[in-house]
Amino acid sequence: MRSEQEVNRAKDRYSDTVRRLCMIHLKNHADTEDIFQTVFLKYVLSSVAFESVEHEKAWLIRVTVNACKDLLKSFFRRRTVSLDAVMEQPAEIPQDHREVLEAVLSLPQKYRDVVYLHYFEDYTAPQISRVLGKNVNTVYTLLTRSKQMLREKLGGDGYEG
Amino acid sequence: MKDKIKEAFGQIQAEDPLKSKTKAFVAQKMQEHAKPIKRQFHIYAVACTCMLLLLVGGCWLYLTPTSEISIDINPSIELSVNRFDRIISVNGMNADGHALSDTLDIKFKRYTDAVDQVLNSEKITALLAGDEILTITVTGSDEVQSAKILSEMEHCAAKHKNTYCYSASCKDTAAAHDAGLSFGKYRAFLELQALDPDILPVTVQGMTMREIRDLMEKLCDDCEDEPQTDSSGQGNGHHGTHKGQGKKHGEE
Repeated sequence: MRSEQEVNRAKDRYSDTVRRLCMIHLKNHADTEDIFQTVFLKYVLSSVAFESVEHEKAWLIRVTVNACKDLLKSFFRRRTVSLDAVMEQPAEIPQDHREVLEAVLSLPQKYRDVVYLHYFEDYTAPQISRVLGKNVNTVYTLLTRSKQMLREKLGGDGYEG
Repeated sequence: MKDKIKEAFGQIQAEDPLKSKTKAFVAQKMQEHAKPIKRQFHIYAVACTCMLLLLVGGCWLYLTPTSEISIDINPSIELSVNRFDRIISVNGMNADGHALSDTLDIKFKRYTDAVDQVLNSEKITALLAGDEILTITVTGSDEVQSAKILSEMEHCAAKHKNTYCYSASCKDTAAAHDAGLSFGKYRAFLELQALDPDILPVTVQGMTMREIRDLMEKLCDDCEDEPQTDSSGQGNGHHGTHKGQGKKHGEE
């Protein structure tokens, strides 16, 4: 079992990452809270010896994604998720950012992780394939298609390819 | 598009209430996790201690001798028997006895099988064929077991020539090893000493049972039921003033 100090350090470092992943997977804030706690509890109880900060982060991302998927398997899934449902205070987010986030949330589930990890966390396709356990060619395909879909949803203005 | 997505996601951060609730939740789970481990450790420690005690107790029970069988011709060997009727040690009481015990593989066998193996061994068979006398003396703290063993030894001895069985009390044979003799030979020495008080243990040490028996016969003027030298006998030995009486069996 890890120490309280380690847990607090991990929380400070990765809270936002876990939060964002919850946002792109889950439907409401209660589920987000549930998964958030579950992920850090798993971190506490895990005996994995992390080789580096990158390894630790990748482990947490994987655990979060899997925890979200496990939770969603037990519920009827809606195709789209409203930002209001998953955010505690959605009104604080500027409108243009809301549009972008809603566009991402409107993508099919399999694209959202890839989009987040590539565009926000700056992971390459090989890195994403290792974290998510997907074939690297699959990741490239998902990235290409998600890019096209986002361009269609968000329009071409100001959005580089 | 990359920058826009990055900026948009940058707006998403873990809220303070979410972090505080998680911190409290994880701390509580860590405490709960520590307690069962201590309780489990307690249970495992008790279980291990009990198992250790059972193991030690079991070993003690198994390895504690409750009876002794002394087999004497001139090789003298002593077999220790436990409460489960198993041989737990085989000790040669003289040089020939050591040599004989080295050839035997009777440890942990039932005493009847062990004694059968001894009596049917090449060395013993040759000695008995050469008209030597073999005595089997049973002694022990467990009187019931000793009586049972004696009965079975008499049955065993009946198949062999010149083989006699005796019982001896622990009290009387207590000094046997101090005198350098096996229980069986010491019992015979006491019988001899009753006939001639000047006899010392050292006199008997190097003698075969045949020689001891012959000396007893020589000293016993009024003995009438001497066992014939060529008869096999079942002896119900009595420690005391008279030599063991033998019941004759078929083989001559």
